[in-house]
Amino acid sequence: MTLPEPIRPTRRHVLDLDDFTRHEIETLLDTAVGMKEILSREIAQVPTLRGVSVVNMFYEDSTRTRISFELAAKALSANVVNFAARGSSVEKGESLLDTMRTLQALGADILVLRHSYAGTAHLLAQHFRGAIINAGDGSHAHPTQALLDLFTLRDKLGTLERRHIVIVGDILHSRVARSNLWGLTAMGAHVTLCAPPTLLGNEQFWLDTWPDLRIVYSLDAALQDADAVIVLRLQRERQEAGLLPSLREYAQFFALSQARLQAALTGMLVLHPGPLNEGVEIAPDVAVSAQSVIEEQVTNGVAVRMALLYHLALHLRQKGA
Amino acid sequence: MRYLITHGMIIDPSQRVATIGHVLIENGKVARMYEMTDRLPDADQDLVIIDAHGCLITPGFTDLHVHLREPGEEHKETIATGTHAAARGGFTTICAMPNTRPAYDTPAVVRQVRQMARDASAVQVEVIGAATAGRQGRTLSEMANLVEAGCIAFSDDGSPISDPAVMRNALAYSRMLDVPIMSHCEDTRLNAGWAMHEGAVSMRLGLPGYPAAAEEVQIARDIHLAAMTGGHLHVCHVSTAGGVELIRHARQRGIRVTAEVSPHHLTLTDRWVLGTLDSPPSAAQGSLTQRLDQYSHVYAAGMQSMRQSADLPLPAWFNPTLLPPFDPSTRVSPPLRTEADVEALIAGLADGTLDAIATDHAPHALVDKQCEYGLAACGISGLETALGLVLTLVHRGALDMLNAIACLTEGPARVLKRTPSSLRIGTQADLVIIDPDQQWIVDVNQFVSKGKNSPLHGQRLKGRVMLTMVSGQIVYQEPGFGMTPRVTPVASRLEGILNTDDDDA
Repeated sequence: MTLPEPIRPTRRHVLDLDDFTRHEIETLLDTAVGMKEILSREIAQVPTLRGVSVVNMFYEDSTRTRISFELAAKALSANVVNFAARGSSVEKGESLLDTMRTLQALGADILVLRHSYAGTAHLLAQHFRGAIINAGDGSHAHPTQALLDLFTLRDKLGTLERRHIVIVGDILHSRVARSNLWGLTAMGAHVTLCAPPTLLGNEQFWLDTWPDLRIVYSLDAALQDADAVIVLRLQRERQEAGLLPSLREYAQFFALSQARLQAALTGMLVLHPGPLNEGVEIAPDVAVSAQSVIEEQVTNGVAVRMALLYHLALHLRQKGA
Repeated sequence: MRYLITHGMIIDPSQRVATIGHVLIENGKVARMYEMTDRLPDADQDLVIIDAHGCLITPGFTDLHVHLREPGEEHKETIATGTHAAARGGFTTICAMPNTRPAYDTPAVVRQVRQMARDASAVQVEVIGAATAGRQGRTLSEMANLVEAGCIAFSDDGSPISDPAVMRNALAYSRMLDVPIMSHCEDTRLNAGWAMHEGAVSMRLGLPGYPAAAEEVQIARDIHLAAMTGGHLHVCHVSTAGGVELIRHARQRGIRVTAEVSPHHLTLTDRWVLGTLDSPPSAAQGSLTQRLDQYSHVYAAGMQSMRQSADLPLPAWFNPTLLPPFDPSTRVSPPLRTEADVEALIAGLADGTLDAIATDHAPHALVDKQCEYGLAACGISGLETALGLVLTLVHRGALDMLNAIACLTEGPARVLKRTPSSLRIGTQADLVIIDPDQQWIVDVNQFVSKGKNSPLHGQRLKGRVMLTMVSGQIVYQEPGFGMTPRVTPVASRLEGILNTDDDDA
């Protein structure tokens, strides 16, 4: 396997996709193709990152992202430690920076951070000597999820150039939506957002940053020419907070149902970052339909994270050498 | 000790005066003014001459809104450090907000704080009493007793009074005491969990927003309550264009409303929270077409937002890109708003809708700020950068000098219904000497205040306080200032700063 050189020798952290060029994304996805091949081998492990310490710092519950990072690091033979803390650092009585400094002193090279407050990965990046990978911070960013979505879409569609991608659901509170907006627009795709106004916010605020977006309130209209739809998870708290009259009405107008799937273009792909609320934002039979690539997304997530770890570790080593 | 301040541009809004001359201070009072051609008093060993060539001499500033943190949070600020920071900022009178522990809500606490201020303070400290007991927003504090103990206004600053009936009663009851109710206008049900202004930047960063409307609906409510009760409503730190418009309209209708604005809301925007991203990929890599390819939408959008910051009608020495994204020093309540709001606030100052510039000096310890953005304490340590920011507006042509000084002297006095600080003969010598042209770089580590929390760290400001005098005593002086003759020609340096067309001058 030959790996392409990273396009950006200055890249140390992955905090969001907002500072990624198209070329850099393509390079990463190309690397991930090679990583996926490794994962398909009988012995799915290579010694590439031996001696590199990766710490998964998870301040918010997560199963699939943490396991995905852990498996990715292990497939590259890195040392992996999982660190889980509930609630914020303030509630815990120890500041996040103190915890980070402790992990740094213990020899951590790469910190994978999941946190419920936006901007936390940027905070650590200001102070940590190694590399930070943002595994989701509040409603801000989830770059590895977006990269695995891009990987899956590119794999299935061949290219993202001028493809129509719909993102439907709780966009206002979604880090997946924001990181995907950066990634998809960088790759030349046309993006449509679809959500009730209470889960979207002021349209102009979105257009100020992403002027080519299309925003519609009708999912049926949004899906008309869609090559793929990314369905977001709807947290039940949104209804309790008064943003929705009922989950029933939400499902009626915004869930991806079998009927909507059939009305859409043949072969429209269905993506979902998980975990699924079947019957709320997606019908159970849609989630397991032939057009659904939800399981592949999960598999691809490991390959994409391996590619990221590889590139960042390469940079750390070059710097350390 | 007698002081003769020579060759300064004397600016006194209370007398509508702007002239070059000398000022004699004797027995703590302004004793005499000299024109340039007048014969100066003979030198004697008791007379200290301060050369103020190229500088402005103005009445001392009054700050309506300062958090001194004592008692209760002395690790953030004390009366001693806070008032010395005030002196360094040119403030000779400051009003202390009651969100301390305990709050300034009983005569005993107020008397004690005033006594501590007399012992430790560099400047005059006035006490704002809590409007409700314990700042809980339920029962009125014993306002009459508190006024007897020395309170000059009431406020639950930081904890907005959410119950309109309580606000109605506060405004009505305070009428007999003829003191303002200073309202921190915020409907906390409209901005639950907020981290910054709700707008394009919050949308991009995924931070929970504080919409302008959360401030405006409360201003509207309080204006209606002031109209009904006849009480004096003072709106603290107005930050939105809509808020300015509401206040302007209320004043046209004759409602007793005054208002203040902070230097940071007059100059900074929510783009400061965006800060700057990583530097772009080197342009030297690849061919032109390849580069165009790299610089596709993502990068175009990133650059667009940076260009928008660069297009701000702010002077070149403001540079939000000195900060990383999500820098907690930019978190303040109310939050930094948009360029349109900044323009409306400046217009509100210029047309007299807003009475005063007040710092909302809110010192915090490092640990309160070095954390998750949404958990960072709100506030900016503002006493020592206020004048620099205000003069920036003057240099930019947004405000005229006389108006700017009036908003720091006459305006706040009007809110408190007091005689403004003045350079009139026979008045207490509270004054400031300012070098309007001196450029300096903000270094929070040089702050006298314990609060090093300022987004302006590293920024270049133009205009600096050189000396502050309270009752004829020097309470702050830039090292070496005024003791050796300054040689800069006066006329050329002051040219263009003063609006000489002012009809009242």
